[in-house]
Amino acid sequence: MLVTYILLCGYFICTSLASERTEVIYGSDKVMNIIIQFLFNANKISSCGDYKAPSVVFEIEEYKKLLSDIKKRGIKLRYVTDITKDNVKYCRDLIEFFAYDIRHLEGIKANFSVSETEYLASAALLEEQMQQQSSIPIQQVIYSNVRDIVEQQKYVFESFWDKAIPAERRIREIEEGIVSGSTEVIQIPSRTKELFIDLIKSAKQEVLLLFPTVNSFLREERIGIIQLLKEAGSIGRKVRVRVVSPTNNTIEKILQNMQIDKPDNFLDIQRVEETTTTSETNVNTVTILVVDRKASLVIEKVDDSKLDFIDAIGSATYSTSKPTVLSYISIFENLSNQVKLNEKLKTHDKMQKEFINVASHEMKTPTQAIIGYSALVQKHPEKRDEMLSAISRNADRLHKLTNDILDVTRIESQTLSLNKEVINLNDLVIGLIEDFESQIQTEHSNLQILYDGPKSSDNPFLIEADRGRINQCISNLLSNAIKFSANEYSDGDGGTVSITVTKEEKNGNSDNHNIRRIQGEQVRVSISDNGEGIHPEILPRLFTKFATKSETGTGLGLYISKSIIEAHGGRIWAENNKDGEGATFSFTLPLHKKQHQQLPVYRTRVGHKQ
Amino acid sequence: MKKRILVIDDEKDNASVFSIALEDTGLYEVNSFINPISALSSFRPNAYDLAILDIKMPKMNGYELYEKIKNIDDKIKVCFLTAFGEGYHEEFKRRFQGRRADNSSATHVHFLRKPITIDDLVEKVNEII
Repeated sequence: MLVTYILLCGYFICTSLASERTEVIYGSDKVMNIIIQFLFNANKISSCGDYKAPSVVFEIEEYKKLLSDIKKRGIKLRYVTDITKDNVKYCRDLIEFFAYDIRHLEGIKANFSVSETEYLASAALLEEQMQQQSSIPIQQVIYSNVRDIVEQQKYVFESFWDKAIPAERRIREIEEGIVSGSTEVIQIPSRTKELFIDLIKSAKQEVLLLFPTVNSFLREERIGIIQLLKEAGSIGRKVRVRVVSPTNNTIEKILQNMQIDKPDNFLDIQRVEETTTTSETNVNTVTILVVDRKASLVIEKVDDSKLDFIDAIGSATYSTSKPTVLSYISIFENLSNQVKLNEKLKTHDKMQKEFINVASHEMKTPTQAIIGYSALVQKHPEKRDEMLSAISRNADRLHKLTNDILDVTRIESQTLSLNKEVINLNDLVIGLIEDFESQIQTEHSNLQILYDGPKSSDNPFLIEADRGRINQCISNLLSNAIKFSANEYSDGDGGTVSITVTKEEKNGNSDNHNIRRIQGEQVRVSISDNGEGIHPEILPRLFTKFATKSETGTGLGLYISKSIIEAHGGRIWAENNKDGEGATFSFTLPLHKKQHQQLPVYRTRVGHKQ
Repeated sequence: MKKRILVIDDEKDNASVFSIALEDTGLYEVNSFINPISALSSFRPNAYDLAILDIKMPKMNGYELYEKIKNIDDKIKVCFLTAFGEGYHEEFKRRFQGRRADNSSATHVHFLRKPITIDDLVEKVNEII
């Protein structure tokens, strides 16, 4: 670096030395003079300086002056140094304002300059000198104009220059944060342990931790890691902690005792089956910790059977280098996604099995009745009618189940088609009620169905819809209401089911009002029962497949109804009645545009199922 | 004297088919219920030789009902009769097969699947009783 300063020379008049010599020069004044002479004699200078050198030029007034002289004289200057986060701004200035041609060589310690004919080097390590007092000029230098020495040093410089990388590249890397950190291999397990603990304690935003085996979890629990994670994820610190780990009963018990799965902390543990982590991939042999996306600690295990953390681990790699940390984050995320995907598949699988179980139960139950009655009917002529009607009732049930399953298939393959026509909704509802009433008389004699809405002739609600599908949907809601209203075991000690058909009330909010006008007007059908209401557990997934609390339901009806209503541009929802027992299911459908023009009323056939 | 059988199945048609079929043999007297709770409330010791229980029922499933019945009458024989899938049979095996060695009353527990023909049902019941 001295060399650097040297370059600066200028108008100081120096006597050039005629004879060849090599000497050590002491004292800052003498050093300054020799620097000035060196610069004065040079047209091309090649310099090396350690990481401190670039800042020194700017910190010491005398050297700063020399800088501008170099520039004035147009000396061509090549400079190799160790560009770091701390000196990068000086390096940039040297390039920009003083036309230095700089290259970066990691860790270079040499401090010398060589011109065409002279060599100048600081006689002590600049680093040591500068550590004590930051801005004193150099006190001693080695000077030589011996040709062989100068040539030798030129050669040394050229070999550094060839190994070094362009400053622009290094500066860009630093500015983008790519090399802002370092990577260190830790061979001493106790240091690894301390670092592990310190890192989690220091976390401010996020901790990612991957345990490769059940044993590694247990070992790390023993040194207090899990407790630290719990503290990090607590309300006080709000660090988002994500752990991927294989588990077993012991681990589950530990987690339970620590109350780690409480919803009010920020700790998320994804469980992996241990079998998936014992395969021979590298990921499974190391514990990976990433803190705040800034630091990673990867700990290799050498003997997983050991109970003690220190005994079980080998070397560890601690890194704050961005690319390294990012790679570990991506490894963690990939694994975590894989685990999530696996869980999804399992849930899907479980639902599929559940469906097969429920559907097979629903098929076998009426089949049992049909088989039984068919065998008995001949022996019991006196009960012939009763048995035949039971057979037909159960056959209907099978038929309905078949249709439901087919409908679900259509919905899922998106082939449910609607045959739309303009229909009178009131007539359809009234017709359905008549159907149900006749059925009720035989089964639940005391149950009442109340209708509240316009009669067919006055003010009909016209909708453009698939008659069969809307029929199916209302039937389903009605039969659910009847099923849950009637007390099944007291021979029809009935309840009340009421159906309301009204124009959907406009929301008081004027914004909503506007939206509604754009969408057109809606009719609402609500069906209330006074049964036991919807179980809170099932409420959130009421309209999803297989949701049922009934012992005689497949859990398909509401799912199908929702699909039908939504296919018509409507909305369906359910709520427990506020003022007492039972529940209300409601749906809306868009009214037909011609509604308001009082077109001749379509005399729809009353909605009998033929 | 006729043997007495208790049938509990929440499906009215099934309860009635089983009752008629068993009574038709002339060997049995059958009482049937579609509600496990009311069946239990009228259940007395030594009233029945065999109880045929559905498993999937509202309010109380067949296994719970079994435990309650056994508490009242530990000599009664029990036959589960269910349309539900493998899950219930797995549970049945868990519950009862382990017990056989040390609990003689567990040998009186049987498992049948719906749908079952009238003839098969009668034959099985004859075997059990």
